[in-house]
Amino acid sequence: MPCERKPMRYGHSEGHTDVCFDDTGKYIVTCGSDGDVRIWESLDDDDPKSINVGEKAYSLALKNGKLVTAASNNTVQIHTFPEGDPDGILTRFTTNATHITYNSSGSRVAAGSSDFMVKVVEMYDSSQQKTLRGHTAPILSVTFDPKDEFLASASCDGSVAVWKIEEQTQVTSWPLLQKSNDVINAKSLCRLAWQPKAAKLLAVPVETTVQLYQRDSWAQVGTLSDDLGTQAINVVAWSPCGKFLAAGSIGGLLTVWDVESKLCVERQTHEKGYTVCGLAWHPSGGQIAYTDTEGCLGVLDGLSSSSSSSSTTTSSTMTKAPASYDDLFDDDDDRPLDEGISEGARSPAKNPGDEDDDDDLIPATGRARNRSAFLDDENSLDTGSLKQGLDKFVDDVGSAIVLPAAVAAPLRPVYDGPMPTPPQKAFQPGSTPAHLMHRFMMWNSVGIVRGYNDDQDNAIDVEFHDTAVHHAMHLTNSLGHTVADLSQEAVLLACPGTDELASKLQCLHFSSWDTNKEWMVDLPKGEDVQALCLGQGWAAAATSALMLRLFSIGGMQRELFSLPGPVVCIAGHGEQLLVVYHRGTGFDGEQALGVQLLQFGQKRRQVIHGEPLPLSRKSHLSWLGFTAEGTPCFIDSEGVVRLLNRSLGNMWTPVCNTRDNCKGKSDHYWVVGVHENPQQLRCIPCKGSRYPPTLPRPAVAVLPFKLPLCQTTTEKGQMEEQYWRSVLLHNHYGFLSSSGYEIDEEGQSQAQKEQQELLMKMFALSCKLEREFRSVELAELMTQNVVTLAIRYASRSGRMALAQRLSDLALEKANQLQGEEPQEEEEEPLQYTRRNTGSGLGRSGSAGGQNRVTNVLDSMMSSSKKPTALLSSSGSTGKLNKTPFLKPLAPRPKTKVQHNSVYVRHKSGFQLWLEDNRRIILADNPDLEETDVIKEAIGRFRTLSADDRLVRHLIYTPSHSKSDEASLSHKKDPLFPCAKAEMPL
Amino acid sequence: MDPSEVEFLAEKEVVKIIPNFSLDKIYLIGGDLGPFNPGLPVDVPVWLALNLKQRQKCRIVPPEWMDVEKLEEIRELERKEDTFTPVPSPYYMELTKLLLNHASDNIPKADEIRTLVKDIWDTRIAKLRLSADSFISQQEAHAKLDNLTLMEINTTRSFLLDTLNCMYKLRSNLQPGSSGGKSQDHQ
Repeated sequence: MPCERKPMRYGHSEGHTDVCFDDTGKYIVTCGSDGDVRIWESLDDDDPKSINVGEKAYSLALKNGKLVTAASNNTVQIHTFPEGDPDGILTRFTTNATHITYNSSGSRVAAGSSDFMVKVVEMYDSSQQKTLRGHTAPILSVTFDPKDEFLASASCDGSVAVWKIEEQTQVTSWPLLQKSNDVINAKSLCRLAWQPKAAKLLAVPVETTVQLYQRDSWAQVGTLSDDLGTQAINVVAWSPCGKFLAAGSIGGLLTVWDVESKLCVERQTHEKGYTVCGLAWHPSGGQIAYTDTEGCLGVLDGLSSSSSSSSTTTSSTMTKAPASYDDLFDDDDDRPLDEGISEGARSPAKNPGDEDDDDDLIPATGRARNRSAFLDDENSLDTGSLKQGLDKFVDDVGSAIVLPAAVAAPLRPVYDGPMPTPPQKAFQPGSTPAHLMHRFMMWNSVGIVRGYNDDQDNAIDVEFHDTAVHHAMHLTNSLGHTVADLSQEAVLLACPGTDELASKLQCLHFSSWDTNKEWMVDLPKGEDVQALCLGQGWAAAATSALMLRLFSIGGMQRELFSLPGPVVCIAGHGEQLLVVYHRGTGFDGEQALGVQLLQFGQKRRQVIHGEPLPLSRKSHLSWLGFTAEGTPCFIDSEGVVRLLNRSLGNMWTPVCNTRDNCKGKSDHYWVVGVHENPQQLRCIPCKGSRYPPTLPRPAVAVLPFKLPLCQTTTEKGQMEEQYWRSVLLHNHYGFLSSSGYEIDEEGQSQAQKEQQELLMKMFALSCKLEREFRSVELAELMTQNVVTLAIRYASRSGRMALAQRLSDLALEKANQLQGEEPQEEEEEPLQYTRRNTGSGLGRSGSAGGQNRVTNVLDSMMSSSKKPTALLSSSGSTGKLNKTPFLKPLAPRPKTKVQHNSVYVRHKSGFQLWLEDNRRIILADNPDLEETDVIKEAIGRFRTLSADDRLVRHLIYTPSHSKSDEASLSHKKDPLFPCAKAEMPL
Repeated sequence: MDPSEVEFLAEKEVVKIIPNFSLDKIYLIGGDLGPFNPGLPVDVPVWLALNLKQRQKCRIVPPEWMDVEKLEEIRELERKEDTFTPVPSPYYMELTKLLLNHASDNIPKADEIRTLVKDIWDTRIAKLRLSADSFISQQEAHAKLDNLTLMEINTTRSFLLDTLNCMYKLRSNLQPGSSGGKSQDHQ
């Protein structure tokens, strides 16, 4: 008889419970340790009626509209049913009653108590009561003989006794049970049950079996046992027809036997394996209600067919099969669900019937258990957990013994395809998991935010790496903030919403110049902050409503927009916002993440339009952010650091694998910051975990970058790696200058020089290896002036063919430059491109080139003399001079600028030219005074062709004329072109 | 040599600090230091570390050997062996004293470390006294002691040399004739 086990639902708080049906079977009535009696119309009743009967309710019985309960105030009370009005006290004990039961007609109630006594009380007159004395320990349970002649009781003294009610004498007694000193310490509740109707048998649960004793002879006539029952049976109940006996065990196993054949006809396990302590048959016999010690109520349905059709012979091995098969699906609690994995991600291999399990309330301890399992895992998110769950599932098949898995297999829907991955939860990069009592809420390049949430204190500590930013702060975390971010301007905190309180965003704007340094915003009800970040002058919060809300740093609400999927994390830097979200469901351990990069400020645009985020296989995102220079960067759980390559169509390039630096397999690096100049990956080494503890205070280590190029052990591979790494990590100069930030020109020229040197070295190496074709390839990457060096190298080492090709190349490059010049509309001296015509090395090359006499060099000279030849010529969007004002990220003191009329007159064109050619002039006339240099320069500038001057003029005049007055007054404008000219050489 | 001079030498040892300020490289006669980035460990000499610490400009990262477990190991080894065992740092005593006196809040289990280092020191000094004793009583001419630190040598040097001189005088006075030349051999 395949019965259906309905999902459990929360009924009472944790502790002992009891259950019964009313006479009609319309209601299920439960009581529990919270002192309430609940009346359920059905298991799906969302609003059961509650009657409070005391501080705790130990037992209840219901018949004829009278509800009898044993409460903690040592009384047995009567309530009317279903109204629940108090109807007097039936009897009292010196301590609490442990079990009460009606006789079959409902005229008497028997109650056993912890004071060793059993009382039998008449319902119509509570003064008429009989006391049965004889047990020497608290009474465990009592049961009436349906013919009202006898009463059986079990006690903690280990005996089960039968009493003659009228004579109040013990008829017989069996020492069947283990002795204990109190009911709560008893191994089993030993709820006895007398067979209804026939009244022939008394069922006594003894250990893992149920012993049947015959009336009158009091001899044991049988034993019901189950192979699977490994734990003591707590409670037994007869079916109303008296043919079946149900038993519930400590281990949560529910068994139904056909008493006549002594065969097990039904077997179910409690979905969480909790102890069953209450069991009741529906008056029709088609249902069993049961409760557990965790306060949950469950129902087994669909028993009617077997119990009504009294064909007991059907109970054969055939019935066993489906019953035990059902057991296979009872492992829901093994799912390491919860926490990092959302509920939506269920394996399709699970029985669809299980799907509604998530709807009911899981008792608090259930969560705790799952959490502890989750804590064991060092990972903040276990993408492998699903697989793990499946493994357990298979294990259960093995441990269910009864059937080989092969039989079970065809019965369930088979799905061998890719399994969906539980999507990773939203997180704050640079924070440790939220369930820790002491955790880092944020560790970034600005400072550290620590959260403490223990018994004494719920507080947040904010500490700045640079104490010049702000002094350390200590805040009490009364709102329960869980996410935080920190910038040079503010601390941003947010807490999830609760039933009463909305989710809040709090900002401590410490850099504010007024006295109000704090603001707070309530989110709409039902919307929780899941991730947040701070930029320069703005704050962003991604919410559970798939929304991204922008705020100004002062608390003004700004734009908001919808996210394409649930957010994973967000990061801000300057005017850039990086958002990573779930694009869809990943399969087989992969996450399907999408990324958006938005640019605010002057040019509002989306730089990356929700492209997939390339993670390593079977990994998840573990850090997201920007380098100190503003390049987006992320790290996955495999430890691979990827950097956005803006010069390669915004592709992501792996630059480092932190796991390569780990000594042990379970060691990790917890990244706190990425810097491009100097090339540093700042992280905290964690031994045997993924994240560091707050104490002892972890120390930051620095890892180098290493592009995963091939054969980096060879000299060639090493130099290639160095070259491309240098190119990649200096991309930010182009970005910074194009978005109007100040850049470190010295560092830039240094980097370019380094790159050209590397190219030259590689060139020499491939020459040595007789790889002339490759040498030319390398030369193509060189700047024009370095090509001349390469030509010299080639000709000196007697490779005339190579030298010839290189000089062709040099000519080509020179022509290319000249050809592009007139078309070039926007030029600026700071522009950086990959194939740069490096200003640093280029200048020195051209200066030295004057003394040379080869024809190649002559052509070089002619081009390099022109002021614009040294400038970059590839397409650029940089409009430095047109930017009305700049926001330097790190303003640095500049040499004070002195203006004179000469500078003003020829400001743009001449000054730039002067800057480029000063060295040449000085080299020619080393003795010149500053003013003489300028005079000489003016002289040379006038000799330039008109075209060249015109180019300069056209380019720079507009900005000049517009900002003429302004530039005079803003003498410290860091990018004012003549600033450089005045610097001592 | 004064103990303070030895301490002065010890202050040249390099130690890691985590500065809470930002400063470019500083160029000193002894070498370049920095750059200092807030929150990022940097190697500086002890004298600078202590100076910065006293001005609350940094946190000192204790040297690797300044760890209870490692020191316990060293102590056990030192007690087991009859000879001097190698010490974790040639200036272990001075560094411990300096760092614990000025930056005990940055060093976990500072008290235990102080005790352990003192134990090691005591064991070694006891050994030193013992070997000096046997050196004198056996009237040896020379002895070789490995793994001694400058501070340890310094504690015993002045006393031992003076004593030997004194004893030499006494001995040569005792037997002015023949044994004078003999004890000169010893020297």
